[in-house]
Amino acid sequence: MRRVFALGLAALLAGCAPADDRPEIVVQRFFGECGAVYGASTDVANADTECGILTTLINRFEAENPDIRVKVNVVAWPGYPQLAAQMAAGDPPDLVTMHQSVISDYSSRGLIEPVEGLLAQAKIDPAGFTPAARAGVEKQGKLYGMPWDTIGRLFHINTELMAEAGLMRGGKPVLPNSPEELLAQARQFKAKTGKPYLIQAQVSAPDFMVAFLYTYLLAQGSPIYPDDRHIKLDTPEARAIVTLMRQLNTEGLTTRDQDFPAATAAFTQGKGGIFPVGTWMLGPYDAEAAREGSPIKGHYAVAPFPRLWGTAAPFVDGHAWVVPAATRSPQERAAMARFLAFLSRYNYDWSRTGQLPAFAAVLDRSEFKALPHREDIAALSRTGKQLPGYVERQSAVQGLIGEELEAAITGTKPVETALKDAERRVNRLYAQMM
Amino acid sequence: MSETAPSSQRLSPLVTVLLLIGAGIMLMPMLWTLLLSFKSNAALMADSGSAFMPPWTLENYAAIFQGSLTTRWLINSLIVSTGSTIGVLVLSSLAGYGFARLDFPFRRTLFVIVLLGLAVPEQAVILPRHQLFAMLGLHNSYPGLILPSLTGAFGVFFMTQYFRAIPPELDEAALLDGASRLTLFWKVLLPLTWPAQATLGVFTFLGSWNDYWWPLISATTSDYFTLTVGLASAQMNYAQTSGLGFLMAQAVFASIPILVVYIAFQKQIVRAMAGTAVR
Repeated sequence: MRRVFALGLAALLAGCAPADDRPEIVVQRFFGECGAVYGASTDVANADTECGILTTLINRFEAENPDIRVKVNVVAWPGYPQLAAQMAAGDPPDLVTMHQSVISDYSSRGLIEPVEGLLAQAKIDPAGFTPAARAGVEKQGKLYGMPWDTIGRLFHINTELMAEAGLMRGGKPVLPNSPEELLAQARQFKAKTGKPYLIQAQVSAPDFMVAFLYTYLLAQGSPIYPDDRHIKLDTPEARAIVTLMRQLNTEGLTTRDQDFPAATAAFTQGKGGIFPVGTWMLGPYDAEAAREGSPIKGHYAVAPFPRLWGTAAPFVDGHAWVVPAATRSPQERAAMARFLAFLSRYNYDWSRTGQLPAFAAVLDRSEFKALPHREDIAALSRTGKQLPGYVERQSAVQGLIGEELEAAITGTKPVETALKDAERRVNRLYAQMM
Repeated sequence: MSETAPSSQRLSPLVTVLLLIGAGIMLMPMLWTLLLSFKSNAALMADSGSAFMPPWTLENYAAIFQGSLTTRWLINSLIVSTGSTIGVLVLSSLAGYGFARLDFPFRRTLFVIVLLGLAVPEQAVILPRHQLFAMLGLHNSYPGLILPSLTGAFGVFFMTQYFRAIPPELDEAALLDGASRLTLFWKVLLPLTWPAQATLGVFTFLGSWNDYWWPLISATTSDYFTLTVGLASAQMNYAQTSGLGFLMAQAVFASIPILVVYIAFQKQIVRAMAGTAVR
């Protein structure tokens, strides 16, 4: 009885507590949880890693804006099953991190809102976005998010091995300008060092191979997606690219049978010359190159994918902040605008992660230029190419293409058959889409 | 029972060695996981083989406990798993008793419908269930996480079979002594089903503890994450490369309660497995 009374009293007291009438915004993000280190941090300049910097940014926003209540949902990467569930339940968050290549899946169904109004309210001029970042959020002529960065693929290079192979000039790696040069340099590298020229993740890493294919298809001006329901992969351009990838594999000029973690470790152990992987590894590898005793200590460089065909048009993606469609009060919208304005002011800090900034002004800042290797890769912000805004279902599509590419590269299928199969399977997926 | 096993049950040295090799192979991934969990992320990124060499560290485990919501997720998992287990035991026992012992209209038809439930995978009903729970406002709540597990057909089928195996003479004797149906169920039959209850309880608890898919889409705010979803959300991108030690520590941490349950109810689990094999 006493317990019942105590519970009743507690409920009564809770009811008497002053109501919190501050507008609440629900921010949903991936990038992990790092409350152990950054739970109370507001020192953005000293925060590190994607998780650390974003956690600190949100802490700081809350500290500077006590009149806004921020609820943070940290979701398991990439968080789209949860977002879909929230949308289906009619209870979506207010601001969500989303890959730019995924935006069209939601924008085409009216599940996220165009954000021009919110950006204007936040006094963010979309003209200030880098070309690659803007292309990532612009779908059917509307902006469906505030771009946050650009993710590109880079050649991460072991300069010690490149020097041993005679592929350094003026302190810079010598990179190929054609498929023939690539093969010649790879053979030279292997002959001189006894190690493979490339380190690749060929197992369970479809995006890895797809990025290579997309980059060089875009470079050749090949229309990968002629419309929103078709892909075109059975082309001479695609055959040339995949044949090159297969030849590298056949001749042992690349590591084989490695998944992404194995390939990542192989590079740090100096087991190959070049690891073509994303901007996100810039920070970790740079730290490794500064560590005493590391096989790559002082021997690390990066460069955008070399121009092997046509023009420089590296395939890029990026992260953006999007707004799920929902009814919101003017106060909530004002709070969201303030949050976006706050984030936009700290885009430089985010670029310390290794991803490229989404705001062109950051590229010109001296602090950004002073960051390691950034001047070598900043061009990606301008030359990087996104897929057309109408292209959907990239997550599933890249999985299908990746399977076929793996079969072609490892010799399980002829290149032509694999590309035909990839095209057929993707087009069937699109045909089944509502 | 004699103290030494009959010679026919003694294992030959060859079989013993083969079993030891088999056990070693099965233990290897767990030992590998454990070793990785005691290494720093940086050391593993450089070389995952370094797990076999010192220095080892507890920093990955410390990071789990320092995580702002880990304790809450652990409590959530305990509440959901315990709630599901109790609910399944109560409902399955009652339903099993009803199907095995009571005569009522459409009993056979209803039992067939229950059996059909065994053939329907969760994925097939997840969309309508999600919409139903959304309409009822049950997402992001403990009932929302517990209720779906109570509708499982396996428990009902399992308990029905168990009740059927109990001799009906017991019922007759108890009823002759003036026991009501409830007394018969509660004081006579239910105590006899303890081995089945233990088995069903262990499996339900383990299934609920390991469940990922439903909590992932029903609990969308961090406060209601279960441990499986919470730990997954705590992983940084490419955790398998730059956060391998932390990832493995999470795996070990999440499996500790499961190990405890296995050890505590080892006999029931083995008996249940053996029973399944015989059938």
